[in-house]
Amino acid sequence: MSFDLVRTELTQILTDKSAPVVEITPDTVLLNGPLDIDSLDLATLVVTLEEATGLQPFREGFVLFHTAGELGALFTKAAG
Amino acid sequence: MSQWVIVSGVSRGLGHAIALDLLAAGYDVAGCSTTLSDEVKALQSEFGPRFVWQATDMGDNDAIDAFVAGSIAHFDAPPWGVVNNAGMSVEGILSTLPLADIERVLQVNLTGAIALTRAALRRMMRTRKPGRIINISSITGSRGYTGLSAYAASKAGMDGFGRALSREVGRLGITVNSIAPGYMKTALSAGLDDKQLDQIVRRTPLNRLCELSDITPLVRFLLSDEAAFITGQTLTVDGGLTS
Repeated sequence: MSFDLVRTELTQILTDKSAPVVEITPDTVLLNGPLDIDSLDLATLVVTLEEATGLQPFREGFVLFHTAGELGALFTKAAG
Repeated sequence: MSQWVIVSGVSRGLGHAIALDLLAAGYDVAGCSTTLSDEVKALQSEFGPRFVWQATDMGDNDAIDAFVAGSIAHFDAPPWGVVNNAGMSVEGILSTLPLADIERVLQVNLTGAIALTRAALRRMMRTRKPGRIINISSITGSRGYTGLSAYAASKAGMDGFGRALSREVGRLGITVNSIAPGYMKTALSAGLDDKQLDQIVRRTPLNRLCELSDITPLVRFLLSDEAAFITGQTLTVDGGLTS
């Protein structure tokens, strides 16, 4: 899965909640960083990505990630 | 397009009454149960595509996911609400209850309800719109009853689940509440004999058992826009038995 999908869906979430839309790079920290999102928004992002890709990188348990790039990499890894 | 609601355990008793009441009120309904009862067939016949049903074992999490996915595909929209009604009971003194029976009650009544809610929420939260989760609990969850320890544990668990989830999804405008009926004369209370039921009636200020029609209007109200500011609560409907 390309990082572009993470960026697209994340931007959509920021737009939906009328939060400032900032530039998102692979190094952008998701929580407690420059983005005005909380854990519920992050869960929404993960669910949206799972639905869009049909992949479930957290099926066997939660895996820690901090940045948008790390999240994208987990989906890429799940795709095999 | 009208709103649609998931109701589990629609084959008989309270679940069937809730589904019928909601359909009559204009909601579309996706119902599930393990058996295709005559009551379900009657709903299918009367309401056509407004009522969709799927055989689903609440002990099978994959089947629950498939039921929700199929219902969303049928109505082509996320659900407005979920009514976790499906339940089973096992009666007996704890020390003699088979562990397999205890695990089955907890899976069907509690884990199944959580799995159903999870599956629906995954679609509801993406729309960032309000919604409703209603758990059909029981006064045994808060007060207990001899011989119903595993059942009571599942219902108390359901109430705790609802309280926690209400905090989690409140920002989305999704409310989560429990309804705790008093003792009803349905198949689920079959474990109570007439003597026990008479005793319950005598101790009830309003002097009767709980009826299906005592519960269905409250489900309808909690689903309504008027109930938008009620969440994280367990609403008891027992004629004052536990007052």
